Amino acid sequence: MFKRILVANRGEIALRVIRTAREHGIETVAIYSEADRKALHTRLAEFAIPLGGHLPSESYLDMEKVLHAAKVSGAEAIHPGYGFLAENAEFARRVKAAGLVWIGPPPDAIEKMGDKIVSRQIMEAAGVPMVPGMTEPAATAADALVASKVIGFPVMLKAAAGGGGKGIRIVQTPEELPSAFKTASGEALAGFGDGRMYVERYLTGTRHIEIQVLFDNHGNGVHLGERECSIQRRQQKLVEEAPSPVVDAACRAAMGAAALRAGAAVNYEGAGTVEFLWSNGEFFFLEMNTRLQVEHPVTEFVTGMDLVWEQLRVAYGETLGYEQDAITFSGHSIEVRLNAEDPLNGFLPSVGTIDNLRIPGGPWVRFDSGLYRNMYVGLDYDPMLAKLIVWAPDRLQAIERMRRALEELNIGGIKTSAPAAMRVLMDPGFRAGDFHTQYLEGMEMREPKGILHRVAAAATAIHRFNAARERSLSMRDAERLGWMARGRVAQTSFPHRAGDTRGFGRGEFDQ
Amino acid sequence: MKYFVDVDDQQFEVEVRESRGQLHVLIDGQPVNCDYVQVDRAGQVALKVEDRSFGVSLSGTQNDYDVNIAGHRFSVVIEDERERAAHAAERAKNKGGGTVKAVMPGVIVDLVVAVGDIVETGQALLILEAMKMQNEIGAPGPGRVKRILIEAGQAVAGGAPLVELEALQEDAAE
Repeated sequence: MFKRILVANRGEIALRVIRTAREHGIETVAIYSEADRKALHTRLAEFAIPLGGHLPSESYLDMEKVLHAAKVSGAEAIHPGYGFLAENAEFARRVKAAGLVWIGPPPDAIEKMGDKIVSRQIMEAAGVPMVPGMTEPAATAADALVASKVIGFPVMLKAAAGGGGKGIRIVQTPEELPSAFKTASGEALAGFGDGRMYVERYLTGTRHIEIQVLFDNHGNGVHLGERECSIQRRQQKLVEEAPSPVVDAACRAAMGAAALRAGAAVNYEGAGTVEFLWSNGEFFFLEMNTRLQVEHPVTEFVTGMDLVWEQLRVAYGETLGYEQDAITFSGHSIEVRLNAEDPLNGFLPSVGTIDNLRIPGGPWVRFDSGLYRNMYVGLDYDPMLAKLIVWAPDRLQAIERMRRALEELNIGGIKTSAPAAMRVLMDPGFRAGDFHTQYLEGMEMREPKGILHRVAAAATAIHRFNAARERSLSMRDAERLGWMARGRVAQTSFPHRAGDTRGFGRGEFDQ
Repeated sequence: MKYFVDVDDQQFEVEVRESRGQLHVLIDGQPVNCDYVQVDRAGQVALKVEDRSFGVSLSGTQNDYDVNIAGHRFSVVIEDERERAAHAAERAKNKGGGTVKAVMPGVIVDLVVAVGDIVETGQALLILEAMKMQNEIGAPGPGRVKRILIEAGQAVAGGAPLVELEALQEDAAE
């Protein structure tokens, strides 16, 4: 096994990799920007190499600096985490060219899956289900009707030269198609000078369900089941779970087989995720993420596997050493992402210094984060700060365990997505497993009326009352003024206070 | 001291008094038995209301607080009688006007309105990019755009004034 690896990332994912490496006696090298000298990943790795710079482009995204850090630290391999350089084929090539091991898929696979058109062609050839649609646009309503009958209703008409929602029609039945084609095509002709239309199956109640796959470089591959990631907003996931409430064993086997075909088609190695759109029992290829995913812990909880360890093993050249039937699933796991954002205010980003941190505990509760008290959360890095993950024997118990854990959690100093996750967990539709990718957008983020409003009112009033009383009773203001140049005048006008040090060791000075 | 407390738009009148070291709290006129202990100076509080116990976390200043209780978050606006009167007078004077400020540091990507435009509550004024996200900043109330204090492409600090709105003259039927 590797003796020393470099972790080319920051935050919770850097810690995630460092943890597994340390458990297996592998030394870790952290890299850090100027802003991250105090960060947890810098402190918990055996070695830490400064990259300088504040912005990601000056530090974690600077290939030259990262490669240099690997060289000077004597690391044998680079783990990219997710984000930053994780899906950068050029970086993967340069790592290999430098004689280092890239703990990730082959650069070719990254490149192919990163290209929408190329990946679609490869997936179609590999027999991975795609959203049914025309490859060539239709010029007439008659052509579109013929195609629609093959594709299956409802269909969506999309302008061949379209954009901005113009020239798009949803058609429920064959009877509606001619007139819809006429108006949409007319709109497209007027708007873009091209009246041709694509016909595509219109999917309703879509869910985002993804399959975790794992390949070694000896031609073996397994899938580790699905993750349900439909609770999302602007493509940002909030709550993830495994298994999905709508996937049964047969569907899992079918999706797993399709995901393995997808991986095999690009000679995949390591851990990866094949994302599918699920609609009424059918599933269609969306894209493949050629890296470890943020939400991998829910898979770890239900399979009992350490995905980072598997990544390290296969990157070192080991065989998987087990077959698909050795992968078993147990219980239910849920993850909540804690982002620095304000769900009560349109999910606007939130910045500040973490002044309070109470981390939930208890059985089957996992908290992956790079948070520490006094940490500054700014705008330069990803707002995803921490992940709370729980496991329980079944879905409802997992929901209750997550609710309990969220009740214990307190992150002070910034606003987080935690209250939004709480709303999701308490939502009857979510609890029934009945939701889709648009579900979160339509949810009310405010607290429903209840006893806690009164408690909040009382707490705030007493808090203000106490603060005002404390100010009036303490002499802290006067004492502090005495230390400042502009306070000397005040000091001389109250000579009897000179030398009076009552109150020192209280208040401002003992924090 | 009497406070007017607005918790997510639900109104409470809370009166807090202290006599002989004993806290007396009335919520909407009803006496409520409260036991309040400060845990630290960063807003952690151990609060008991009647027989129930709560771990409360408060942050904010003077009139605006964020209150976290058991994973639930509330936006609280609190005013004493004097502030309430002063703020009411101010609101009456502005009638929907006022200055829209940047809620966070970022870059102005796009200006959607021009001086003289009449805007409705929530209507987009500009797009502010922060944390890789484009955020629509809307009008807090109806009004006319009086002045625009920034330009597209400009970086702004948190709290920086962006757009001034003035109240619509109700009698000026233009």
